Amino acid sequence: MTALPTEAAPSDALERAKEGDQDAFAQLVGEHESMVFGLAYHFFHSRDRAEEIAQDVFLQMYRSLADFESPSHLLFWLRQVTSRRCIDAMRRGRLKLVTLDEVDEIRAHNPAADPLLEQTLKRLVSQLPEAQRLVVTLRYQEDLDPSEICRIVDMPVNTVKSHLHRALQALRRKLGDH
Amino acid sequence: MNLERELQRALRRESPAPGLAARVLARAQAEAEEPRIAHPRRHWWRAAAASLTLAAVLGGWAAHQVAERREGERAREQVLLAMRIAGSKVRYAQEQVRGIGTEQK
Repeated sequence: MTALPTEAAPSDALERAKEGDQDAFAQLVGEHESMVFGLAYHFFHSRDRAEEIAQDVFLQMYRSLADFESPSHLLFWLRQVTSRRCIDAMRRGRLKLVTLDEVDEIRAHNPAADPLLEQTLKRLVSQLPEAQRLVVTLRYQEDLDPSEICRIVDMPVNTVKSHLHRALQALRRKLGDH
Repeated sequence: MNLERELQRALRRESPAPGLAARVLARAQAEAEEPRIAHPRRHWWRAAAASLTLAAVLGGWAAHQVAERREGERAREQVLLAMRIAGSKVRYAQEQVRGIGTEQK
């Protein structure tokens, strides 16, 4: 079953999904899958891992449908659960990533002349320490400001700002963009 | 280069392979249809409950044994005390009898 086009207001889809309407559930997945999949993909830089995380998140959403009070509550929950699942999966040690400092070969790249800047940036982001990676992804993929990110990742707002600052500093250093 | 603009471009949302909702629903259905095999977690709880019951029974039996032993010891003490009292009475009676005998002489 593929995601259906939006035939009704999102809140209607949520209400119908709560009543057991699987098409409405598919509609909700369709509305949010690129956000959930994107967060996990940028965190792990792996489509397989992102698929695994996205399936787990939406399965948990399916089981918890009755608890969602509104579409905005659902969106907040999805961002929070996806972030937590990424961190948990990383901490369970199922994926060993090298740290940013270990990526020597990237230093040699001249980003101004690099036609693969986007790929380079994705790779560099996926190699940031996990908290920085999550904060950067929420900031630039979801266009959230630090006060919104701090609620999702359950960190003080100053910690979020600090992670963002350090991440940008590290990325600039690695890209040679001073 | 504007790093923040480049990050927004690089970190845009990504779509999964088509049919994610169907894959999720298939997993949900498979879980719902799964035969009710005893879950390892339930095994753990059963083992814990059985251990607690056994501990309670053994504890109760041990407490009962201790109480019975104390009861036996108390009864023995009472018998010994009774025998001591009886012995002192007999000795007193003997002394009385002996005293009467010496007066008659």
